[in-house]
Amino acid sequence: METQDSKRKIIKETFPSEIISIIGDLLAGIVLSVLILPFDSFIVLILMIPALLSLRGNLSGPFIARTSRDLVIGNFSKRTWIENVLASYTLSIITAFFIGLFSIVLNLTIFKLTILSFQYYLTIPIISIILTLSISIPCSTGLNYVAFKRGLNPNNVVNPVMTAIDDFSTVFCFFLTIIMLGVP
Amino acid sequence: MGLISGTLLSSNEEILYTIPIMLLIIPALNSLIGDISTVLVSRLTTHLYVGTISPKIQKSERLKEDFYGLFITILLSLASLLFLGYLTGIVLGIEIVNPFLMIIIIIITILLIFFVMFITLFIGAIFLFKRGMDPNNFLIPFLTSLADFLTPLFLILFIIIFI
Repeated sequence: METQDSKRKIIKETFPSEIISIIGDLLAGIVLSVLILPFDSFIVLILMIPALLSLRGNLSGPFIARTSRDLVIGNFSKRTWIENVLASYTLSIITAFFIGLFSIVLNLTIFKLTILSFQYYLTIPIISIILTLSISIPCSTGLNYVAFKRGLNPNNVVNPVMTAIDDFSTVFCFFLTIIMLGVP
Repeated sequence: MGLISGTLLSSNEEILYTIPIMLLIIPALNSLIGDISTVLVSRLTTHLYVGTISPKIQKSERLKEDFYGLFITILLSLASLLFLGYLTGIVLGIEIVNPFLMIIIIIITILLIFFVMFITLFIGAIFLFKRGMDPNNFLIPFLTSLADFLTPLFLILFIIIFI
């Protein structure tokens, strides 16, 4: 019972998940410090990364929770899953567009840099988050399903593992996007 | 909030170039403080609903047990993060400027944010619960953004002061 957990139990259950999360986030840090830092436009790119990481968390978390809920209550079907996927993609594209738009505003008002043309500000977050979700959604659905089939509560197991996978894939997909678009 | 955090990092780019280890560990630090705070909010909410913590701003044995449990977890996680982060930095040949001072700065930053979060979230959870709202729904999105903003802010601030 959570209400009777001793501090020993809190540490025992939380610490292993944290280690998984730390490893995933260090991989994200490697991509940032080794692959993205050398870009000429790094000063502009770093503006968008924290927002994309937050966006990923805000989209992936509810997606995992909804899939877990559907599995637990026996409501999981191809139709509910597709609806869930479409909702996540739609929301991500709209929010990524606003991240790009606000980045333009911040650049025009604060940084006044001309390293990147405005089209990049809009395309980088959108393509990047679509790629990230294309990794995150199949992984989290598969993990949810496997956890459920093995009699585990997907809510407890899937989130910490997916935080690690998602943070790494967000930064890595960001890197792939800027390579694909030929960002300087 | 994510864009504010990005603006903060972007306007201090010279720190990121001179202390590249910061970029390596910032995602993990953000995630650590966010995860621990999320666990705290979920636990506080459950305690309030079950009645093991009364909706008053006062100390209790249950609150102390949660505080020490999460405090020890964050210390252990931070030690692991620093060990793994520095090891990764050494393996990848990333320059580590003032390694011991950086460790102290990181520890001070995370512990300071943990104490701020603990007090803010405890008061916030009671305030929301008393008004018939579920603290989980309001505090978790709030704390994620707050952690993303406060971690680079305090890190940069302490680096400017001490290095």
